[in-house]
Amino acid sequence: MTMTKTVWREVREQLGDRGKIEVLVGIPTFNNAKTVEPVVKAVKAGISKVCPHASVLVVNADAGSQDGTPETIKQAAGPDIPTAFVQHLEGGFFPGPISLHALSESGVPGREHAFRAFFTVAEELQVKACVVVDANLRYLTSDWMEVLLRPVVEKGVDYVAPLFRRARYEGSLTNCIIYPLSRALYGKQMRYQSGGGYGFSGKLASLYLTKNVWEGEGARYGIDSWLTTVAVAEGCEVSQGFLGTKIHDGTLNGIELSLLLAQAVGALFHLMEGYQDVWEGSTGSSPVPQFGPPYEPGPEGAAVNVERMVRGFQQGLRDLLPIWEIILVPETLDGILSLGLVEAEEFRFPAALWVQTIYDFALAYHEKALHREHLLKSLTPLYLGRTASLVLETREGTPEDVERAIETLCETFESMKPYFTHRWRFS
Amino acid sequence: MSILWQEAMLETFRETTLRIAHLLPNLLALLTFLALGLVAGWLVKFFFLRVLRAFRFDALCERFGLGSALAKTGKHQVPSHLIGRLSFWLVFLLFAFMGIDALDLTATANMMSVIIGFFPQMLAAVLLLFFGMLLANFIAEAALIATVNAQIQEARIIASFIRWGVLIFTAAMVLTQLGIAKEIVVAAFSIMFGGVMLALAIAIGLGGQSIANDVLEQRLRRKKVEQDEMSHI
Repeated sequence: MTMTKTVWREVREQLGDRGKIEVLVGIPTFNNAKTVEPVVKAVKAGISKVCPHASVLVVNADAGSQDGTPETIKQAAGPDIPTAFVQHLEGGFFPGPISLHALSESGVPGREHAFRAFFTVAEELQVKACVVVDANLRYLTSDWMEVLLRPVVEKGVDYVAPLFRRARYEGSLTNCIIYPLSRALYGKQMRYQSGGGYGFSGKLASLYLTKNVWEGEGARYGIDSWLTTVAVAEGCEVSQGFLGTKIHDGTLNGIELSLLLAQAVGALFHLMEGYQDVWEGSTGSSPVPQFGPPYEPGPEGAAVNVERMVRGFQQGLRDLLPIWEIILVPETLDGILSLGLVEAEEFRFPAALWVQTIYDFALAYHEKALHREHLLKSLTPLYLGRTASLVLETREGTPEDVERAIETLCETFESMKPYFTHRWRFS
Repeated sequence: MSILWQEAMLETFRETTLRIAHLLPNLLALLTFLALGLVAGWLVKFFFLRVLRAFRFDALCERFGLGSALAKTGKHQVPSHLIGRLSFWLVFLLFAFMGIDALDLTATANMMSVIIGFFPQMLAAVLLLFFGMLLANFIAEAALIATVNAQIQEARIIASFIRWGVLIFTAAMVLTQLGIAKEIVVAAFSIMFGGVMLALAIAIGLGGQSIANDVLEQRLRRKKVEQDEMSHI
């Protein structure tokens, strides 16, 4: 609470008496001087189209840039848009440990502190809408504000999640676990994509501040992992905004993948504990409003090394079996053991077995059957196996075939939910 | 002659009776201590079991991999039961030693004071052993998962190496704590640890030059491991 008060005091000192602010634009940064200028200009142009008469404030939460990022933002915003600057590293607003292990594509350490600062300022100023965009985006256009801001300002939407056109098989962690599991749990067909940009209502920004996710176990997971889940579980007016094609700069090797998986899946499992009363009674799922151009499946991406994935699965089967024996029920384990006998080209991980595996992991997490970080990371080889199977099943088909496979998986998650709910109740 | 014989007999009988009369209360004391030891041991065991269950100790041990490690050693008991049994025997032995001390035998004189003097060291050693085992399992499990996820084929060897490294280090600490062959233990551990490190250095230096080179290049120059790897999130 003290930290949030400090943030607000500093911002108020920088702002002076500006009167009512209606739209807050948050930009988390860390050495983004090279890319942030076009981002700010595009945002500015977009806002002038969506709500030309609205009073806007740009808040930059910086993690200790050494390349003059805040000054670049101030220059790009120009004299007509006020800017405020907060720093959330040593000596700044949030001294102390920063969850550097919380990975995000934005490359900003302690990204959750930046969001917390934006939400604090948004609440204090009683803004109508809050938009947060990453500073390292090379594909942001002024049209993004049509998608992220207009629904909040004009249609009373509380949350606009980003939705991107991804190359085939990109974002498979989201498509294989996060999206289908969240959809089965909370009953909303959100694609649970993350990063890039978000739109929030002032009401939702205040709500986030009251949730127990900023400190303790929840804070260990990156903020991108739980923003959407909290908005959905709290019953807010949620939507998705199609933002075009997502361009990726880097890839992840094995170790980073397991960390990413532990964060994304861990956040979901962690929130399941708190929102049991919400998901327990929910059945089926319904679509959510979508803004911007219609969503379309991505084109052919780079070649995927399926053999390496199958090798990863087989090694997991060989070496992590004692750990999986603790987590999985015998029926699930038998199904997985039988997959170790097939050749890479014939490898298939059935959807029903995968769903049962994820539900078993969620239950083991709930029962604290194993140290939680170990439990989450030990899922990596199984995830590689499922992804390899998805690729092998659909690589000869069209992008629509991949979408259909994902939809089938989601339906399997929904249909097998009673298995999970029943076991959760009696655990 | 007859009187002398009679006196000798009576004296011996009197002395033996007196000795038995002296020993009987001591024997009774021993039996009482043993009975008390059984009751006290059972009570302490019961108390420990209740407290450990209340704190979900078995689940905690399972999380740190101790349950599976015990299963591997053939002990198919939950850790709380093991601790309960250990506490029972500790208390029972304590009472048994008190009983032996009560016999007032020359051979067991001062045994109790020696045992009581040794007790803190023993307790520290038991705690060291317990936490050492927990740490060994936890670190080995973390290493196993990390190396499997990095698709290093020797994952199990690395994890075993780490587990045994920590266990040997713990054993050395326990023996040092108990004061058993202190100098030999320290010297043996130093020689063994140094030897293993030297062997590793030589093995990497001579046998794995190119591998080490590749690994360092990948790490330091951020060379992509797999060019066709996709983005998962």
